[in-house]
Amino acid sequence: MSKAIYAGILLAGTFLAPHIALAAPSCGANTGQAATGKPIKVGGIYGAAAPGDFSAASKAAGAYFKCVNANGGIKGRPIEYLVENDQWNPELAAQAAAKLVGDQKVVALVGSGSFVEMSVNAPFYRKNNVMEMASACAVSECFESSNIVSTNQGPLPSSIGAAMYAVEKLGAKNVVCIGLAIPSVGNWSCGATEKYMQSKGLKGASVLLNPASPDVNSGLLEAVASGADSILVNLPAGLANAFLAAAKEQDLRDKYSWTSSTPLYDVSVPKALGDYWNGKVYVSAELTMLDGKGPDNQNWLAVMNAYGKSTDPRDTFSQSGYLSAKYFVETLLAMDPAKLDDRGAVTAAIKAIKGKKSDMMCGPYYVGDADRHMPNHAGIMVVIKNGGFEKVRDCFQYEGPYFAPLLATEKAMGLN
Amino acid sequence: MLAITRSGLAGTVFFLIALLALPALADGQWIKIFISTGCFVIAASGVAFMYSRLGMVSLGQVALMGVGGWVTLRMNHAFNLPFEINVAVAGAVTLVFGWLLALPALRMRGLYLALITLMAAGGLEVIFSTFRFPNGGPGFWGVMPSVAAPFRRPWIAQSDTAYLRYIMAAAFFGFVLIELHRRMAPGRAWAMIRRSEAAALASGVNVVYYKAWAFGLSGFLAGVAGGLLAGGLGLLDAATFRASESIMLFALSVVGGARFWLGAVIAGVLYRVMPALFSNWGINSDLTLVIFGAALLHAIMTAPDGLSGQILQAFGKVTRRA
Repeated sequence: MSKAIYAGILLAGTFLAPHIALAAPSCGANTGQAATGKPIKVGGIYGAAAPGDFSAASKAAGAYFKCVNANGGIKGRPIEYLVENDQWNPELAAQAAAKLVGDQKVVALVGSGSFVEMSVNAPFYRKNNVMEMASACAVSECFESSNIVSTNQGPLPSSIGAAMYAVEKLGAKNVVCIGLAIPSVGNWSCGATEKYMQSKGLKGASVLLNPASPDVNSGLLEAVASGADSILVNLPAGLANAFLAAAKEQDLRDKYSWTSSTPLYDVSVPKALGDYWNGKVYVSAELTMLDGKGPDNQNWLAVMNAYGKSTDPRDTFSQSGYLSAKYFVETLLAMDPAKLDDRGAVTAAIKAIKGKKSDMMCGPYYVGDADRHMPNHAGIMVVIKNGGFEKVRDCFQYEGPYFAPLLATEKAMGLN
Repeated sequence: MLAITRSGLAGTVFFLIALLALPALADGQWIKIFISTGCFVIAASGVAFMYSRLGMVSLGQVALMGVGGWVTLRMNHAFNLPFEINVAVAGAVTLVFGWLLALPALRMRGLYLALITLMAAGGLEVIFSTFRFPNGGPGFWGVMPSVAAPFRRPWIAQSDTAYLRYIMAAAFFGFVLIELHRRMAPGRAWAMIRRSEAAALASGVNVVYYKAWAFGLSGFLAGVAGGLLAGGLGLLDAATFRASESIMLFALSVVGGARFWLGAVIAGVLYRVMPALFSNWGINSDLTLVIFGAALLHAIMTAPDGLSGQILQAFGKVTRRA
């Protein structure tokens, strides 16, 4: 073998070494032995069709479960993870839930992400006493149901976080929230942002775009006409990009302060927006930075490298799916092994989750036996800068009337 | 008038077998799929009979289902009335809606009529996606940003299995309703209009009246189907009622064969069962669109009576040999 090839191998080894070091994930019981017992069935429902793919969370949960199965499983039993795509269709969402909960008899649903599924199936889950530890929720039903708890924040806390930053750090007195006219998404989250502004004695307004035919130019004109001094973009990433492109055409960058909810926290966004917005758009992030150095975040990356596909997204939803799956596995490992197939016992164990902490999430994760669940209501702020993101504010607790009952519940549980 | 044809007898036997076998054999997921299929069979029967009896092309049937579904949900959340009354009101409202749509459209023929119904479907799509479907909220539109209020199903069909039987019975009565019309004055008038509007007019048939009647009947069936679909989930979503779905249902009715009851059943099965089968096999369900396109070409080129015509013909040959 020639010296050049040797040198090449050495060089490749030098570059790969850190990755090999990263690729030693820690999962579940971490025994290093593959689980061989009777599988425990766990479900997950995601939406992937136009207008978006929400499968990142279930892909991350699936990768973590594979890792757990290769490391002793749950007391020697592997997790059989069954996922279904609802294709943003309520009928398919109901069919998926009937298949997983009714026919396959899963003990819980983990890592789900959809606009549609939670709205349709929330009553069904309650009736069947099964818990869904979702990871990519976007609708109010997901946060206001007894049997669903999500690790991600959804548009409401995320928007309020962005509005708080605009008020406290950028000096905004009048924030206009741009959302989609879907009652349980845009109306819900922008409505709560208005209430937050009112609670501070300031002004707030909403501009809601028709989801079937969103017209960003007329939305922008409406926002300008509202008399606001700060614009909060609360739209899916593609539409948010189009909205900011319309604002760039009008050269409105320096006339307003600009904030956004989480969808713009995506690695592809800074490049898509270009230099014009460099250092000008502040984005509310629901979990830690994607390159966060904490042990959980590093383990998430290691799990994805070892057990996920290279094409699986490494985004906020993926982080969220990993964290949901991790908490679920910890819960099963702490249960009586004889009761692992008992859905009622698994539901009770999930509802008893309390005060779990991670470097990925600002606050404690808990479930509790309540009519609504939103454990993640504190976040960080990042700014789009030099083709990437920079953290500008570390963990802060969101404020506003919406969170009052949640904080009361947490107080009753001894969490804050 | 009440004599049973061979096709009618076959339909009745098929209905009884399906009534007994389907709910017993299907599991939870498939019962939901069959509930949805049954609703679209009812809607397809309306659009197919208009096409086969009058040669009228309606590209707004699924949008009219949306109207029926909207009214049923609105009634359910506004008043404490039984399910049947809500669905009957939905059928009546959609019937009137069908008439209103029909009156200006009926002076048009062929392509123009099809375009007007398609535009109406497009308009309804915008309304549904803007205002959404009632879920128990306040005001006229009845939408709130939270979990939908409970939906009251028929008291005899609370479970999914019983509701599937209920849907199948409704589909059976839908076919009987169409058949009764065919055998009475409207059926005779429709037959004449289909041959020649001028001849029908010369014979004293009120062409506009009987065309509007057909539109009303088809609208009624769409409204009932939409109401029954709302009962399946307890809520509806605008994505189900896009204008493109109306075109698809019409195309599948042609593939199935518009002249026979079996054609509407095949249309419903292609529309809802086939994509579900594909999903279960791990194949992208959008591939069914390719198959539908090929099937439509096949129907247009070689089978004017669609798949049901071919099946019944083959069945007739076998029975004659026996």
